[in-house]
Amino acid sequence: MSTFFQYVVEGLTIGSFYALVALGYTMVYGIIRLINFAHGDLFMVGAFVGWTALTMLAAQHLPWALALVAAFAASMAFTGVLGIAIERLAYQPLLRAPRLSILITALGISLALENGVLLIYGAGFNTYPHLLSQAGLVLYGVRFTFAQIGIVAASFALMFALYFFVHHTFVGTAMRALAIDQDAARLMGIDVERLIQLTFLLGSMLAAAAGVMEGLYYTQINFFMGFVLGLRAFTAAVLGGIGNIPGAMAGGILIGLLEAFGAGYVSSQWTDVFVFAVLIGVLVVKPTGLFGERVVERM
Amino acid sequence: MSQTATPALSSRRACFLLVALAPLVVAAAALPAFAGNYLIDVGLTIVTYSILGLGLNIVVGYAGLLDLGYAAFFAIGAYTTALLETLLHFSFWETLPFSFLFAGASGVVIGYPTLRLRSDYLAIVTLGFGEIVRIIATNLEITGGPNGIYGIASPGLFGYEISSPRAVYELGLAFLACVLVFAVRLGGSRLGRAWASIREDESAAEAVGVPTLRTKLLAYVMGALIGGLGGSLFAARFGAIDPTGFTYLQSVTILIIVVLGGRGSIPGVLLGAAIVAGLPEMLRFLNLWRIFGFAVALVVLMLLRPQGLWPAALRRVAPSVSDAAAIDTPAPGKARAGTGATLLEVRGMERRFGGVRAVGGISFTVTDSEILSIIGPNGAGKTTVFNCLTGVIRLTGGEVRWLGASLAFGSPHRIVHRGIARTFQGIRLFASMTAFENVLVGMDHRYKAPLVAELLALPFARTETADHMADGLRWLGFVGLRARAGERAADLPYGDQRRLEIARALVSRPRLLLLDEPAAGMNPTEKRELMGLIRRIRDSGVTILLIEHDMMLVMGVSDRIIVMDHGVVIAEGKPGEIQADRRVIDAYLGTGESDEADGGAGGERSLWDS
Repeated sequence: MSTFFQYVVEGLTIGSFYALVALGYTMVYGIIRLINFAHGDLFMVGAFVGWTALTMLAAQHLPWALALVAAFAASMAFTGVLGIAIERLAYQPLLRAPRLSILITALGISLALENGVLLIYGAGFNTYPHLLSQAGLVLYGVRFTFAQIGIVAASFALMFALYFFVHHTFVGTAMRALAIDQDAARLMGIDVERLIQLTFLLGSMLAAAAGVMEGLYYTQINFFMGFVLGLRAFTAAVLGGIGNIPGAMAGGILIGLLEAFGAGYVSSQWTDVFVFAVLIGVLVVKPTGLFGERVVERM
Repeated sequence: MSQTATPALSSRRACFLLVALAPLVVAAAALPAFAGNYLIDVGLTIVTYSILGLGLNIVVGYAGLLDLGYAAFFAIGAYTTALLETLLHFSFWETLPFSFLFAGASGVVIGYPTLRLRSDYLAIVTLGFGEIVRIIATNLEITGGPNGIYGIASPGLFGYEISSPRAVYELGLAFLACVLVFAVRLGGSRLGRAWASIREDESAAEAVGVPTLRTKLLAYVMGALIGGLGGSLFAARFGAIDPTGFTYLQSVTILIIVVLGGRGSIPGVLLGAAIVAGLPEMLRFLNLWRIFGFAVALVVLMLLRPQGLWPAALRRVAPSVSDAAAIDTPAPGKARAGTGATLLEVRGMERRFGGVRAVGGISFTVTDSEILSIIGPNGAGKTTVFNCLTGVIRLTGGEVRWLGASLAFGSPHRIVHRGIARTFQGIRLFASMTAFENVLVGMDHRYKAPLVAELLALPFARTETADHMADGLRWLGFVGLRARAGERAADLPYGDQRRLEIARALVSRPRLLLLDEPAAGMNPTEKRELMGLIRRIRDSGVTILLIEHDMMLVMGVSDRIIVMDHGVVIAEGKPGEIQADRRVIDAYLGTGESDEADGGAGGERSLWDS
């Protein structure tokens, strides 16, 4: 039984990363109906910016807590601005074009980000400083590290902050209105372009935070890390019901658990087969995802 | 009588393509004569990608569906050929039917359960399918795991071994030629038309008789067949395959070819394949920056040409003037005398939406060759009745009998095939297809010749196609749109769009036509013309059920009127009786006096004055 709960702990930790990245997919899809294939790569960029900041600050012999905060801030700021820049340059001009065109630019941006990082940092693995200790506690035979607890807590804090922002603030209400009917929102005086940019900013910042945390947790980062994670995070968003923020969170956790159990009980080689089989199964039975989509079909 | 119509149409299209492609074809065929092995190798890559691009173009370009796992079909074809050759010692040619079979079957497997999903979900499901196939190939023993399968023999032909780069290149070119002809014929066939209509407006396509689910499934299957062929060619070319050739990136590359070239455009896809396979080669001077440069170029090209580099031409399947003149039969169909028999019988029809009872157990009958109107205030449940009758939504209670048999509520297209056609309250034409094509889509389910015969242009299929087109023209003439047959539906003036929608419904040869507010937004002249048209439709033997708010029109054409309010029938009778009915006046029609009492000129005017 304790192995079961050990997998749950592991699954929750991975699931937090998926959930944070899934939020970006779901928000962008909800607002401009774009599957932002570059989003997983923004997560990767976030991890690399965090790595650069940390190694630079470590060279300055800063206290590690301070360095960590600075690395998170730098990574989230840089990636957030990058997200906006991508939206302005590659997506905004195509918002009225056929939807497939914008999908292809998203794929192009994804390829460009991966290869850009490859050119700057090289193809090998970069190693994060080992800041997270393996210290933890054991409850009924299940081991939690403080790092795991911290990651899950931080992720949930970010997710609830986002939820509160979208559902209980004025700007968040405008965002939801935009998701339902862009033209009507514009007529009501909502600055649609600004809000779309804000959506990209928030999504990119969450992805960057997840990237730095993943770097700290696994300590190894690589230019290709955004691909697999992005794929699973997008799956999580669809599984939970695309456009649905709590759905994306739940979907992310679910995929994390699925991965942990699959790797634990069968073999990690088959992880994606489980993930996609579950996804296809769920969609066939419930085409709007587990928690229902929050997307209005434009007629 | 109009033998010339179809061949002229398709050959004109083919001619255009031929002229556009001729230099390319010549260059491609002559390549081995002057090029070295490196160029031939690049050429063969382009040919392979062209085949795959044409296959995916059927799914993405023709049918408008998304597929991010197309490499799966490519993999299935390649592994089928490799396994059958190495394990069972089949020859290359003997493995081909199995490649088609397995790829086509997997097209059904992935398509059937998922086609009901919204289009963007298809992206992730197909992507998942592609990954599953690749992971299975990587992890199974029989497929050779990550090392793949090697030692695949070269195909032979008439005793020659096709093993030199040149020979394989020629084989690839021959395959490409077959695929090209297949893709062009398919695009111009009734299936191509059905795909286009689904791409434009899926529910409207279903409502005019297109079996949308099956049609979409066919797109997957046709695409899969070509993918399988590409895979077999791939296995024969390299003599060895491994799972890295069938990644998600491969699927994305093929999708890029289609979208960059121009969805649905055959020359576009070929151009896309040449660019995607050739550009990285030309960018070799960038060394490490090559892929980055390609990615940036891709984004820039897409920004500059969102429709693709060579967008598909507007589908201008329109009759030439001489053809139009040749066909001159004024009224379609033979007029039938009304038998007075009951066509449609509605008993206790009920439809609830949650707690709302939109239609609360109404009963009425429609007799042959009458014009029956349903009127009532907005929200009375009139359109819901139509949606129930046409199978768009299901009844929650009651029964509908059509020609004495129960109207089992299957898909809307089945109901169209049984003789009930409809128009929509808001116009739902296939906007970027021509008026003529809009009409053809509505009559395509009446084709008797099998699709294969049409694709092969067998004589009897050509005759039928010609008659089919002539019939379509006649119906356009019937609503007065013969002269505008070749115009884009979206470019027609409002009144013409309404009439085109009626023609599109009529061509399915319905016994009963449901018109949902056909006069909405029309000016008085157009309304009077519409009244004439409705009478002429009835006189040609079609019974009409009409929803309309315009009382001049309703009172002018109806034989009988049903008045609904809050989901129930409050009155039924001849126009004169309805006008005098106290309840109807209170609920809906209103009176001139009460309006004046409300406040003179500023008050709302009675519907009588409209």
